[in-house]
Amino acid sequence: MKFLPLALALFASTLVGCAHGPQAVSAPTPGGEMPLPATPAVASYSLEQPSAFLQLAKDEAASPATADAPGEKAEGDEDDFDYGTDDVPAAEQVTIADPWEPFNRAMFTFNDRLYFWVLKPVAEGYSAVLPEPARVSVGNFFSNLRAPVRFVNCVLQANLIGASTELFRFMLNSTIGLAGLFDPAGGEEIGLLRQDEDFGQTLGSYGVGQGFYIVWPFLGPSSPRDTVGMIGDYFSYPISYLDPWYVWTAVRGYQAINDTSLQIGDYEAIKEAAIDPYLSVRNAYIQYRQKKVEEKGGTILKSEPDIPGAGTPARGVGTEAAPQK
Amino acid sequence: MMKRLVIVSSLLLLVLAAAPVQAATPLETVQAEVNKVLEVLRNKSLKEEVKRETLRVIYSEMFDQEELSKWCLGRNWNKLSEAQRKEFLPLFQQVLEKTYGDRILAYSDEKIVFDKEVPIANNRVEVQTRAITKSKQIPMNYRVFKDKSGTWKCYDIVVENVSLVMNYRSQFNEILAKGTPDELLEILRKKVKGQKA
Repeated sequence: MKFLPLALALFASTLVGCAHGPQAVSAPTPGGEMPLPATPAVASYSLEQPSAFLQLAKDEAASPATADAPGEKAEGDEDDFDYGTDDVPAAEQVTIADPWEPFNRAMFTFNDRLYFWVLKPVAEGYSAVLPEPARVSVGNFFSNLRAPVRFVNCVLQANLIGASTELFRFMLNSTIGLAGLFDPAGGEEIGLLRQDEDFGQTLGSYGVGQGFYIVWPFLGPSSPRDTVGMIGDYFSYPISYLDPWYVWTAVRGYQAINDTSLQIGDYEAIKEAAIDPYLSVRNAYIQYRQKKVEEKGGTILKSEPDIPGAGTPARGVGTEAAPQK
Repeated sequence: MMKRLVIVSSLLLLVLAAAPVQAATPLETVQAEVNKVLEVLRNKSLKEEVKRETLRVIYSEMFDQEELSKWCLGRNWNKLSEAQRKEFLPLFQQVLEKTYGDRILAYSDEKIVFDKEVPIANNRVEVQTRAITKSKQIPMNYRVFKDKSGTWKCYDIVVENVSLVMNYRSQFNEILAKGTPDELLEILRKKVKGQKA
């Protein structure tokens, strides 16, 4: 019956919406007993602040050091190691409430069909006409236009190194990179890598939890936080100001086709590997986003010292960036 | 002279990696296995079926299916009876081999950079690598543990910060929260059948 609390916690987490802070879990104390998650009845939904109820599939204790008491397991498991979550990084253990699951599953199917029936065939035809280097350049061009989005979010996260990286990248790539078609700044000689920051991550770094899972038609996996993020980024993306609306639609559509043409096979592989593709994509999305929030500003310094908790404000820059509690 | 030394030592590494060797570091072990995979992928004279078969052999050398399955199931491992576990292991292995094969056969021209080893816990290490494609870099981290024979074996891959094991665990958790282990096995049986067709 050792897994009863876990089952309860999981069950509760699917029933009760619960926000996740960027610091989803504290470091497990070696050898010590993990505090049990709050009882499900106490778990409350809050979008604004990370809840104390760590909605992780977290087991009670059992670090390798204390797990050598096989007698307590009625199942008679021969292992003395507990495949719990003790030293799995918190970002990978994160779960998300899904109160809209029926709607989300419908939208997932819609997007799936949209991909296989429309987007993929069109992208394949397009790939046949335009060779890959050209499509990479088109991707670079749009990516360069997104520089304001990344710059603004670096600034909002008080990540000054990131912001200046984006600024220099934009200046270099817009000029010697021929209006962004090439990415000399990101090359090995200069090594200014793109800072994939968006407003969803900025909100996350302020301590806003994901909330719950949403699958939007056309746009795909999201959450209240990341939806607000998307709207925020819309305003700092120059393409958004294209006028009239059908020009904007056409350009965004073209961008989607070009992006797809460079990633054909990725979605198929995820789907093929999954036992339940909907659950797999949902989990991949939250793991990915959680890690993005945690490693904010951590992409430039290639050889960073192995400080536990690196990626949190202990970066030296932006001490005020993330109220992490 | 230097060149010959490099060639000889890399050949040695290949040979040694095939047999369980105590001395190989996690990074060396992973690198040797990944290089074998790349060699198969880049060998244009091999037919796809031969490639697939070879990859399957490398896969079973590289991964410890039982350890990986335990990680994927987490606490749910205890819900499965001995017989159910016996059926689960090969079924799940087939699912993984198929997808891993499909995925990897699509690639050939990437460069893999082996960055570093990061210890996770006692006897467990993460080997951090990057796959460099034309348009981007994809971080791929292999988590290995020391098995009983002293060989480093993979039990998890973290691609673009998404842990495969934890992704499966989330799926198994949900399926087993609503259904029984038998129902899970039935889903897997159907999946394997569908993949063969």
